Amino acid sequence: MSQRTERRGGIHVDQSDLLCKKGCGYYGNAGWLGLCSKCWREDYQRVRQKQIQDDWALAEKLQREEEAAYASSHGAQTQSQSTAPQPHPGHASLGPFSKFEEKKTNEKTRKVTTVKKFFSPSSRTAPKKETPEGKTPSPSVSRRASFDTDQVTKDFADFLKNLHKPGREIQKQCRAFIVNMSGKKDLGADELSECVQDFYQNLADRLMGHFKGSSESVEQVMDQVEKYIMTRLYKSVFCPETTDDEKKDLATQNRIRALHWVTIEMLCVSMDEEIPEVSENVVKAITDVIEMDSKRVPRDKLGCITHCSKQIFSAIRTTKNEPASADDFLPALIYIVLKANPPRLQSNILYITRFCNPSRLMTGEDGYYFTNLCCAAAFIEKLDAQSLNLSPEEFERYMSGQASPRCNSSEGDWTRAEPPPAPVNPVLAQLNHNLEVLSGLSSRQETLMEAAQSLQADLLSWPGSVQREVDDVLAKYPLEVPSRTVSAIDDNDVDNDNLPPPLTPQVFAG
Amino acid sequence: MAAGGTGGRTYSFKVVLLGEGCVGKTSLVLRYCENKFNDKHITTLQASFLTKKLNITGKRVNLAIWDTAGQERFHALGPIYYRDSNGAVLVYDITDEDSFQKVKNWVKELRKMLGNEICLCIVGNKIDLDKDRHVSVEEAESYAESVGAKHYHSSAKLNKGIEELFLDLCKRMMETAQAEERLKGNGASQSASSRRGVQIVDDEPQATPAGGCCSSG
Repeated sequence: MSQRTERRGGIHVDQSDLLCKKGCGYYGNAGWLGLCSKCWREDYQRVRQKQIQDDWALAEKLQREEEAAYASSHGAQTQSQSTAPQPHPGHASLGPFSKFEEKKTNEKTRKVTTVKKFFSPSSRTAPKKETPEGKTPSPSVSRRASFDTDQVTKDFADFLKNLHKPGREIQKQCRAFIVNMSGKKDLGADELSECVQDFYQNLADRLMGHFKGSSESVEQVMDQVEKYIMTRLYKSVFCPETTDDEKKDLATQNRIRALHWVTIEMLCVSMDEEIPEVSENVVKAITDVIEMDSKRVPRDKLGCITHCSKQIFSAIRTTKNEPASADDFLPALIYIVLKANPPRLQSNILYITRFCNPSRLMTGEDGYYFTNLCCAAAFIEKLDAQSLNLSPEEFERYMSGQASPRCNSSEGDWTRAEPPPAPVNPVLAQLNHNLEVLSGLSSRQETLMEAAQSLQADLLSWPGSVQREVDDVLAKYPLEVPSRTVSAIDDNDVDNDNLPPPLTPQVFAG
Repeated sequence: MAAGGTGGRTYSFKVVLLGEGCVGKTSLVLRYCENKFNDKHITTLQASFLTKKLNITGKRVNLAIWDTAGQERFHALGPIYYRDSNGAVLVYDITDEDSFQKVKNWVKELRKMLGNEICLCIVGNKIDLDKDRHVSVEEAESYAESVGAKHYHSSAKLNKGIEELFLDLCKRMMETAQAEERLKGNGASQSASSRRGVQIVDDEPQATPAGGCCSSG
């Protein structure tokens, strides 16, 4: 097809140029460096396999170097497992259950198992086994993920090239660390966090002390190290199965859904969404905070939070025409979080807390915004009537969905100017319609219930009335049974007494 | 031996601003960092996180000032804000008795949660409204002394007392950091301290030249 259109356009392309460079007779493609799909795949696999083998050779070497330390940590691990066997079966039984609960668990476990396979001893001893797995058409998500990982690895290597000797050292350390971490999958999230944080600390100290780096350059290096390490470790340490992070996520998500009725006025947010600029900022802020989940590196996640915060600040600035203080910012952020309902909020917060380079998290600007996000999450979790200036009854009614703030206000103002909102918001119209249907249904159910109850009462009283009727009838017409006159001919002795004695036969002589 | 030949160390401190709404926390920090008050020309988008670079007796100090939401309903979130902070500026309005009471609550909570690791500075703001004063100077100062805090009077409007209070706070935070470092036997075991947020950037782990900045009093 493309060939024909090119000719029509007047560009002459030699037939031989279009063929595969390997000369296999099929057509090649510029995207595949002029090879046909088959040859390209062969080539690509070869390069890839070689890289994997190289990686493993290096990893194995490092592994051997660290064998003593690794073995001891492994020993400690099994020991800790044997000392506390209870949590494991409990967790195992929980695992499949939560799988039913959410699809993403399924997806996650699958990912984790593939990573496990990658690092499992069998594939270590026979790296060739890796190739068929690479060939199998994996879902686009994981393929993209592995592409990201490759890209990051490449970027990292490029970055380190400029650093010469320290660069090689850093690369060696990072690889060793990742291999080391792969053996610690079963550790709890806190231990994993501890490992990563110690690694940051040690590497930073080493860079600072040994290579005499300035604090800026060390920071730069540490950013790259964090990016590389966390991209590689992301799948195994984000929302790990050893924790109940996922349950927390679901709880938060449901909580935010239940709080859908909270309005901007209740939170006293100084943002006027009537101003187009402000509403644009709000939309962007919501997008940013949702986007956070798609990033893998803690620093990138922080970046999303910072972007979101900046949008909020400009919204407040536009509304109030003065710089936003924390008094304005926090309620606005809470409002944005409620509106956005960011996916896996708790997991993301915990992931950042556990694996972000601490120097950034504690004092930097990003850290400030992140802290505010934590505050917003905590506030939403604990939110009650008082924190929205509502009476407990009102709060209960809104929470149970019996009333919504808008409908509630309409109770008083219905006569004045309430009809407009219905057509304005189609969702609201639908909601109102549904409510009407529901109330109709409930009234019908009530009448049905009443009828059923009267029927029951009837049924209960029926035997009684029948009984009464019978009694009445019995009273009115008493059954007169005439006394029986027994007439026995022979048995009656009474009359016999009155009878003259039987005639005795007399014998007459004659 | 030092690579860059710079002063050697840089301190990074986190300072939280606590206090009721409307006591002038934001004005205070805007005056300090931007030297502006109620100005239409304030260029900064926000006044909730501001930084200031200082040079105190030859040592570089990076100050990160964290504003906190002062509304009562956010009071419970305090610990999330002041976690890992080196200093706290507790602001009250001298014309508002309640705001001073709030400061007392904060002090109690901070001392309970963070002990003596945190340097406190109690600030009576709005001294330009001295005629409406409702918190007596003696009471405030004696209270501050009793809890181991410094007391300052300030006015963001007149730009009074602000520079001094932050400078004093920085000096005290440096002392605390140095004392902590000496306790840890400085050197390799810095991990705990830097996790806490004090990142001590040192070219050469050696004893600190103590007493360079002890100008308290």
